[in-house]
Amino acid sequence: MPKKPAMRRGKPDRGPDKKRRHGPRLPRAMRQALDAMGNGTSRGSDDEEVSDAGAEDLYEYEEGVPEEEARKNGRYDDVAKYEYEFDSDASGADDNVTSEEEEDENDDGEDEEKQIRILEETTGMPKEAFSAKKRKQPLELPSQPGDGPVTIHDLLDNIQGKPGYSKVRKRLQQQEKKTMVVAAPLPKVEREKLERAVTYKEANKELTKWERIVKPNREASTLFFENDVNLGVNTIAAIANKFEPRNRFEKRMNEITQSNEIMEAHRYDGAKILELNKIDVEDVRERQNRLAKMRSLLFRHEMKAKRVKKIKSRTYHRMLKKDKLKAASADFEADPEAAKDYAMKQELKRAEERMTLKHKNTSKWAKRILKRGLSVQDEGTRAAIAAQLQQNALLTRKMNSMKDDSSSEESSDDDEDENDSEAKILNRGKERILKVLEEDKEIPNSGVFSLPFMERAMKKQQEAAYEEARQAVEEYDDSLRKLEDDSTERNEDSIKVTGKRTFGPAKNLPKDVNKKQKLEESENSDSEYDSDPAQHFGNNEATTKKDVQLGTALLDDEQNGLHKSFDDIMKNPGPKTTFEVGMLAGDSWKTVKSSKGNGNSSVSGITNKSKLLAPTVVPNPKQRDNNPDSDSDSDEEMVEGFLTISDTKENYELPSQAELIRQAFAGDDVEAEFEKDKMEVLNEENPEPEKPALVPGWGQWTDIQQKKGLPSWMIKEHDVAKRNREEALKRRKDSKLKHVIISEHVDKKVEKYLARNLPFPFTSKDVYEQSIRMPIGPDFNPAISVSALNRPAIVKKPGVVIKPIQYEEVNPHQKPDEPKRVIQRAIPHPNAKKVSAKQSKGATSHKRK
Amino acid sequence: MAPARVDTQKGAEEDLEMKVAKYSRGKGADLKALRDKKLKGQLTVKEKLYGQSAKAAAKAEQWLMPTEGGFLEPEDEDLEKTYRVKQESILKEVDILSSRKPFDMILPVLGPYTIEYTSNGRYMLVGGRKGHLAMMDMLNMDLIKEFQVRETVRDVAFLHNEQLYAVAQKKYPYIYNRHGTEIHCLKEHGVALKLQFLTKQFLLASINSFGQLHYQDVSTGEMIANYRTGLGRTDVMRVNPYNAVIGLGHAGGQVTMWKPTSVKPLVTMLCHHAPVTAVAFDRSGHLMATAGVDRKIKIWDLRKYEVVKSYRQQAQSLDFSQKGLLACSNGSEVEIYRDLGGHNYRLYMKHRMMKGYQVGKVLFRPYEDILGIGHSSGLSSILVPGSGEPNFDTFVDNPMETTKQKREKEVHALLDKLPPDTIMLNPNLIATVRAPKRKEKKTKKEIEEEMEEAVEAAKNIERKKKTKGRSKPSKRAKKKEEDVLRAKRPFLEESKEVDGRPDKKQRIGEEVELPKALQRFAKKPQS
Repeated sequence: MPKKPAMRRGKPDRGPDKKRRHGPRLPRAMRQALDAMGNGTSRGSDDEEVSDAGAEDLYEYEEGVPEEEARKNGRYDDVAKYEYEFDSDASGADDNVTSEEEEDENDDGEDEEKQIRILEETTGMPKEAFSAKKRKQPLELPSQPGDGPVTIHDLLDNIQGKPGYSKVRKRLQQQEKKTMVVAAPLPKVEREKLERAVTYKEANKELTKWERIVKPNREASTLFFENDVNLGVNTIAAIANKFEPRNRFEKRMNEITQSNEIMEAHRYDGAKILELNKIDVEDVRERQNRLAKMRSLLFRHEMKAKRVKKIKSRTYHRMLKKDKLKAASADFEADPEAAKDYAMKQELKRAEERMTLKHKNTSKWAKRILKRGLSVQDEGTRAAIAAQLQQNALLTRKMNSMKDDSSSEESSDDDEDENDSEAKILNRGKERILKVLEEDKEIPNSGVFSLPFMERAMKKQQEAAYEEARQAVEEYDDSLRKLEDDSTERNEDSIKVTGKRTFGPAKNLPKDVNKKQKLEESENSDSEYDSDPAQHFGNNEATTKKDVQLGTALLDDEQNGLHKSFDDIMKNPGPKTTFEVGMLAGDSWKTVKSSKGNGNSSVSGITNKSKLLAPTVVPNPKQRDNNPDSDSDSDEEMVEGFLTISDTKENYELPSQAELIRQAFAGDDVEAEFEKDKMEVLNEENPEPEKPALVPGWGQWTDIQQKKGLPSWMIKEHDVAKRNREEALKRRKDSKLKHVIISEHVDKKVEKYLARNLPFPFTSKDVYEQSIRMPIGPDFNPAISVSALNRPAIVKKPGVVIKPIQYEEVNPHQKPDEPKRVIQRAIPHPNAKKVSAKQSKGATSHKRK
Repeated sequence: MAPARVDTQKGAEEDLEMKVAKYSRGKGADLKALRDKKLKGQLTVKEKLYGQSAKAAAKAEQWLMPTEGGFLEPEDEDLEKTYRVKQESILKEVDILSSRKPFDMILPVLGPYTIEYTSNGRYMLVGGRKGHLAMMDMLNMDLIKEFQVRETVRDVAFLHNEQLYAVAQKKYPYIYNRHGTEIHCLKEHGVALKLQFLTKQFLLASINSFGQLHYQDVSTGEMIANYRTGLGRTDVMRVNPYNAVIGLGHAGGQVTMWKPTSVKPLVTMLCHHAPVTAVAFDRSGHLMATAGVDRKIKIWDLRKYEVVKSYRQQAQSLDFSQKGLLACSNGSEVEIYRDLGGHNYRLYMKHRMMKGYQVGKVLFRPYEDILGIGHSSGLSSILVPGSGEPNFDTFVDNPMETTKQKREKEVHALLDKLPPDTIMLNPNLIATVRAPKRKEKKTKKEIEEEMEEAVEAAKNIERKKKTKGRSKPSKRAKKKEEDVLRAKRPFLEESKEVDGRPDKKQRIGEEVELPKALQRFAKKPQS
């Protein structure tokens, strides 16, 4: 409301003339006519007492013109237009306008008359028709004082005496006293600048309060996002518990299932079922007992089967088989059918055996056993072999003689049947031995004398004669069997047997062959062989010992057999042999020690020892001859081996030929050589510059040129290169170390482990290198600090939601470096929450302002 | 009483400080000089952590590793000499457990013996020259496996644990497992004279009779390297435990150091004027002891490559113990030296084997005060107080480890296996900034920058005012252009080299596709 008067007052300042001049230029007469009409309308609208006909006419006419003027051309600026429209509103208060128009009227009084005249002429209507209009005006505004425009006081007069009048009047008077001026608004730029300044201030304030929270977060080496452990995953039970029926169907279902009747029925029914299930306690116990018994029986049976399966003993299995057979045969007597079946089976087996000769030492196992020699086998193996042969005999025997098979005594007889004449001879020998065995020891050498080795054996070992003889018998068996094998193999085998066997009457049976081989060998071996008797007499202890050890050391293939023999000896030890059992009690050491003991203690030539020595020494030269072309290295070791045992320091220190040569030529002029080497390396890594030289014929045309010699630039270049090289050499790490060459070669493979440039935030190499000086792995740090050293920048459980940061009052005097910086808590501080709430409220209110 | 306690307290504090200093591994950088605030903050936090870790480690050492190595200490330095103390008299004094450890095994047949311990000192491998191999559990003196290979055995070496070991035999090295089963035959190595195993890298190194050095990765079987030393046959080889560099002693008196990625030796040192007989490295890797035929034992500082001490003494084999004792064998005598400070090695103990025995190899048993001796007729072990590390770290080596731990460790070791190129003289060099190369090829960008500079310089050359007609504006412009071109030329050539591409000239054989509109004008190929 207070604005209106201001506007009103402002208007006269601008001057009405200026305003009126706007608009399209109309002919003057036209304008006058229009003005006259305008006046009429305004007054008419004001007072609303205009006669109907005249008012209608005028209204229609008047309406068209201002519209045209306003819309036709937008030459009016906003303000002007506004005012124009304001005018055209023709509200009751617009007396100002009318007054202006009246003024115009007054100014143009003469013009009006002229106009009327023109109208008269053109229309032919009487003058009164036009002037009457004019005359009407004063008639129709009786209340208006003729002198001036309507003021507010005029209006006030009307309400004089009404309640509130004095109030209004007072206000009016006050306003009239002091003139109020509305300042022009600031330019937009200025205004915006101010606004920005204020906004900045506010924003700054808003943001700085976060600084205390954000900064330590930024600086912290690790941020922890702890949150409630409950990750919102529900169990099915929880979901089911929460279930509420929503639609009709569900509700109905719920009703049914939850209804009392159903529940009761269910309870009742369940009880019934249980009742039906009732079993007598004793029944249950009985059943359980039965089951347990069965189970234990089954278990035992299983265990037994396992154990039986594990048993490797042949005898056991044989017995088992026999038992089974027996049981089967018991069956036959009762059941003729079974007997027939069995006979058929047996027949088939026999046929098969005759075809394949499966049990006649043709199996791999039997061959191997025979190859190794039956004498070295244990009792069980021998028996197994015999049994197999017996079976073979049984199966291959003629039908009619099938029934009179018997014990192992006859097995030898069985063998006889198959063997050739050679075998017969051997058998005879064997029989003789058996005979001898049966005879008393007082009558030796009678039948066995024909066999020379036998004689020797008997001579040497009378006390062990019986056992040996038994072995000999077996040996016979062995050789008999071997006869069946192919001849070449037999030869070798026999040799081997002799080599291996240390005693026993049959050991040198095929001595002829053996001897022949020995003759082929060098004389050395012969001499050594000859030395046997000498040793056997017990002289030259040291040498024998050495030889023995050497032999055993070099014996590779035959060692095992040898040890076996020693073991045998140990079973029936000689009178004074002693055995040291070392820490690592192996075969070889035992034997060696035993032999040593023999050597030491041998006062009288013990038969044992001599026998022992003979075969051990023999193979030694053989082996030596066999590999004369082995490399010098091994030879050298042999020498060492010799000397090691010979107990003399000087001997041991004698270096080998190769070493001697190496040593002799090595330390000649080591230093000079090294210097040469160093020079070479240096030249390789920093090559010497080439000497300046001219291409022959070039630059030597004239005397002067020749005198000048090399061009200066060439010399200069050379000098520079030389200097560079010297500098490079000086820069080397080994430049001051005379006896050291340190390679300057850059290893490209290492380069990938080095940093190409300094990593970003670092600016100094030292700082960088010192920052990585500490290893951070668990090998170098105590367990408590490893995790701290290797902690990632953010610690967070998978699935934890990182919430937006919350405002929290931070004590500015607090230590900035907490050990653990927790950003997010399961339940934020109550204190902090309050503050944040307050803050947010404040912020919102701020916005509203 | 009170002052004494204060003293001890002070002493303890000083001790702790020393330990902290040891564990913080040098000083941190001067952070005050740093300008970058962020970096400064980060480094401060880091340094703080380092400090805490070092302190924790020092405290752990103080409290968790209370066992201290003892030494033989004479009551009167002048009258009593520790080397006069006999094994028997030591045996009387020590506890029962320790008294069970020394032993003598007389095995005269199968030749001089060499021995080897696992890194945790629990198992011993014995190799007799004539083919006898045995492995023993030294904790309960159990023979695990013993067998004969029936050919020359030159050296034995455990691989990463006792499950596998390598044996250098007559023709090739072989790898056997704990049960004596032959696993591999390493034919590529040839007649290996000495074997060494690099634990961290899983490399088996051997030197063969032709002086060739082989490296083979035993986890993958890959042959990593094969280098000719060119210095003749040698069987003196030792690996430096600090950096896994292999030291070879040669007949020319040199000691060379090798790594698997370099054809040439890293360092060649002339150590003796006669063939080198033995080389040994200290545990820290900074000390090396060499012995030569010239009757000298020299102790070297490997950081400076200089002799620290030289003694007149002959030695066939050398070995440093974990605590820095130096054992050397000479004939049938074994002498043990101890560092009295400042690398002043003094005779500490003396042990004489039975006359005639030639000591082939002396080797300290890790984590025990025991010296193993392999000699010509067997092996023996003697007590050497203060030789072994008394506290073992189960992260590193565990003499009492269970099967499970062993397995775990094996897997870890395989996971942590280092590639062979990490072997270098100074392993601390890894991750440091590489020294700028002298002759490095410039990148294209650098060349362009330089060219621009040169062009700018060429443009700014002021020409002298010449006599009339010769410095016309047109001529000046022409000259300037020439200058620029001249300045550009070398750079253009350089960039061409960098690109590795030839000029953009058309190759003769190449057909150029003309635009379709012009194709009808092209000559048709004659057909």
